[in-house]
Amino acid sequence: MTPIAILKKPLEDYESVQNWFKGLKEQSGVEEPANEPWRLALLGEFCGYLNLDPDGVVKACLLIKEGRQTKISVKGRRKMVEAVAEFQARRDTSDSRERARRGNTIRSFLIHNGILLQSGMQV
Amino acid sequence: MEFKEVVGRRRSIRYFQSWRRVEREKIQTMLEAARLASCAVNATFLKAIVVERSQLDRQTLDALKTPVSALNIELAPVHIYTYIDTQAFVGAQGRLRTLVDVGALNATHGWSHKFVDEFVWPNILKPLADNATQAQTVAAAASDAGNAICQAMLAGVDEGLGVCLSAFVPDPIKKVVNPPDHWLPLWVLLVGYPAESWEGGGQRPRPPLDEQFFEGKYGNGFKADPAVTERLKAAKMIQAPAPLPWRKQEIQALARMFGLPE
Repeated sequence: MTPIAILKKPLEDYESVQNWFKGLKEQSGVEEPANEPWRLALLGEFCGYLNLDPDGVVKACLLIKEGRQTKISVKGRRKMVEAVAEFQARRDTSDSRERARRGNTIRSFLIHNGILLQSGMQV
Repeated sequence: MEFKEVVGRRRSIRYFQSWRRVEREKIQTMLEAARLASCAVNATFLKAIVVERSQLDRQTLDALKTPVSALNIELAPVHIYTYIDTQAFVGAQGRLRTLVDVGALNATHGWSHKFVDEFVWPNILKPLADNATQAQTVAAAASDAGNAICQAMLAGVDEGLGVCLSAFVPDPIKKVVNPPDHWLPLWVLLVGYPAESWEGGGQRPRPPLDEQFFEGKYGNGFKADPAVTERLKAAKMIQAPAPLPWRKQEIQALARMFGLPE
């Protein structure tokens, strides 16, 4: 499924994407993430890969129960870590940096949405 | 390096030159510094096992990472696994007698062999030794172990190394290093040459002196004398606070070098 079929609005209009860009600017020193379209392109591809919109990707890592503090789901997070690793490996290239960029872009999206991920060195 | 500068330069280093071996003599220096730390009843509560990361197989290395320490553990070439020895009170009677013999504990302060044998040991230390895992005993032991770890860290900084205390999952490493069952896992002290600049982006934010320390009674904050503060700045104990202007660019460069997310 392509991202276009999943998304109900432009990627940048999703709250999780806005959180991501805000975090990149304020905490990671990226001047203007919107000027680097490859980030959204990769996120869109990942959304298509999981058949989830960006907010859904974040929610898949959480344990949300009414009346209780939202927690990170151990199982959901583990599944997402595996999905990111698979997504990273999918790209048929010998350039390890390019593969790392695929995975790390999605990790960055999740991290700035509060999902702790430490996957170690990717190159 | 002068002592005050060592204190001022210490940071929790989180990016290590993973490829660079740490000289054994530097690790020995750190361990000696820990060995010489202040310890109650001359009991060596801190025990530690030094492991080179390269000696750990991939499965073990991955298993001992906690969610927040995974990368630190991955990058640091030397891991010092620290433990509290809950049986460190055993033998304290003899060690106290030795302190009397060498003139550290003296009659001027009421110490004698007889006091050790007939009061301190049976009434204080033996009950602690017999209940080594009770909260008070563990707290006292952890405090002493912390003193010793701190000295090791400062010695490491003085040797030009980066250090960071991290949590670890104890069971996987237990299979490798085989500590006695009465050792309680504490921290892993990660050691290596910093891959980030030694400034680590600047001295970390801390509350002002008078919010943390008090004079006479609680609530009466210990007032810092500005002249002393200036002297400590000159001695490089108080340094430029984080963030240094180029810190974010440094992190971006490190992320690219190691293949990490931004």
